[in-house]
Amino acid sequence: TEDNMEALRQRNYGPAQYSAPNKHLIEHQFSPYVNNGGTTLAIAGNDFVVVAGDTRVSFGYAIHTRENNKLCELTDKCIIATAGMQADQVTLHKLLRTRMVQYKQEHGKEMSTTAIAQMLSNTLYYRRFFPYYTFNVLAGLDSNGKGCVFSYDAIGSFERYNYASSGTGQKLVQPLLDNQIALKNQQVERLEDLTEEEVVTLVKDTFTSAGERDIYTGDHVEIAIINKEGVRYELFDLRQD
Amino acid sequence: MSILEYNGGCVLAMAGKGCVAIASDLRLGSQAQTIAFDKSKVFKLNDQCFIGLPGLLSDSQTFVDKLKFRTALYKLKEGREMQPSVLSHVTANMLYQKRFGPYFIEPVIAGLDENGDPFISAMDLIGAPVFAKDFVLAGTSSESLYGMSESLWREGLEPEDLFEVISQALLSAFDRDAVSGWGAVVHIITQDEIITRKLKARQD
Repeated sequence: TEDNMEALRQRNYGPAQYSAPNKHLIEHQFSPYVNNGGTTLAIAGNDFVVVAGDTRVSFGYAIHTRENNKLCELTDKCIIATAGMQADQVTLHKLLRTRMVQYKQEHGKEMSTTAIAQMLSNTLYYRRFFPYYTFNVLAGLDSNGKGCVFSYDAIGSFERYNYASSGTGQKLVQPLLDNQIALKNQQVERLEDLTEEEVVTLVKDTFTSAGERDIYTGDHVEIAIINKEGVRYELFDLRQD
Repeated sequence: MSILEYNGGCVLAMAGKGCVAIASDLRLGSQAQTIAFDKSKVFKLNDQCFIGLPGLLSDSQTFVDKLKFRTALYKLKEGREMQPSVLSHVTANMLYQKRFGPYFIEPVIAGLDENGDPFISAMDLIGAPVFAKDFVLAGTSSESLYGMSESLWREGLEPEDLFEVISQALLSAFDRDAVSGWGAVVHIITQDEIITRKLKARQD
């Protein structure tokens, strides 16, 4: 009967039925965080930097959109790529864009990449006790025109690297970058620095592999290449499953 | 902390042209404490079959003894060696027998069947098997191993090239895992011979 079915449902699917001393006060817990998936990565070259992020936004097993931007151009020399919760990603990017304008008006010049790096850390730590669920990778050209990459945790701990990745595909991607860029566990030496074309090819191959095995990574990859001429974008297709 | 992560460790197997390779790290730990760096997770059952058993070491050792018993009995009854595909089914069956109190291991099987064709398979701790053409893996660095293998593996690798590919994939993957590493061992199995090599790795 209906009543029996309802009782059965309550018993099997109710949250705190087992331990609640009475069945009227049931504890619900609202979680402000969700992981919308996705992977980002950045690789620094001698006079350029390549940043990339996939364009899928997921919610559990569902896909919200295949056409999202994880990359945000802060200055013509600096791009931030963010994985994690999309709501915090867009808010953080909006905040940073605002700060760029304020800095330009106060100082009469664009913010340098290293200054942005420190500022991002401070911004994230400001929310130490209710963090942005964001895993950021900042990439750009430093004041000498050399490529630099900074990787952050959710509360602003950061370090400068030659390459970094974040997101659901980080565990798949990072060891490959260790092996192919830093040439770890290989007895070969690189005679010439990597060119832009080689790095972009590596980024595409890396995302293709990540897309195969990580369910949250796929659809397209937005790739940005920053060099002294400015920023150039490429959109690369991935599996849609 | 999951029981499968208590001892740490990982296993990777790949198929090549007329050959297979199976490799594991050498670390044995008790959570953060490293206890030994000579504990391979790969065991030879016969000239055709190798099995890697990452996970809880106690269950690894118990289970491999049971498998050695089963393969010896099979040889006596059938008068021939157990083929890797058969081993795969037997292992899956033995694991499912313990469905509600499982062995905390995730087997990886590699070998050549009697026609010399490569065979690799893996399964979860309750015996759900996967038969792959390219590579199979298990352990605490599984995601890293997926990333590396997916990028580095290609079809038709000869034994020497397969060795390079599997070594680079394993080394770079477990270097990003705190509870795996401390050296590695790789077995390359061909029709004519089995070559075992130890890899030089970061000792941390």
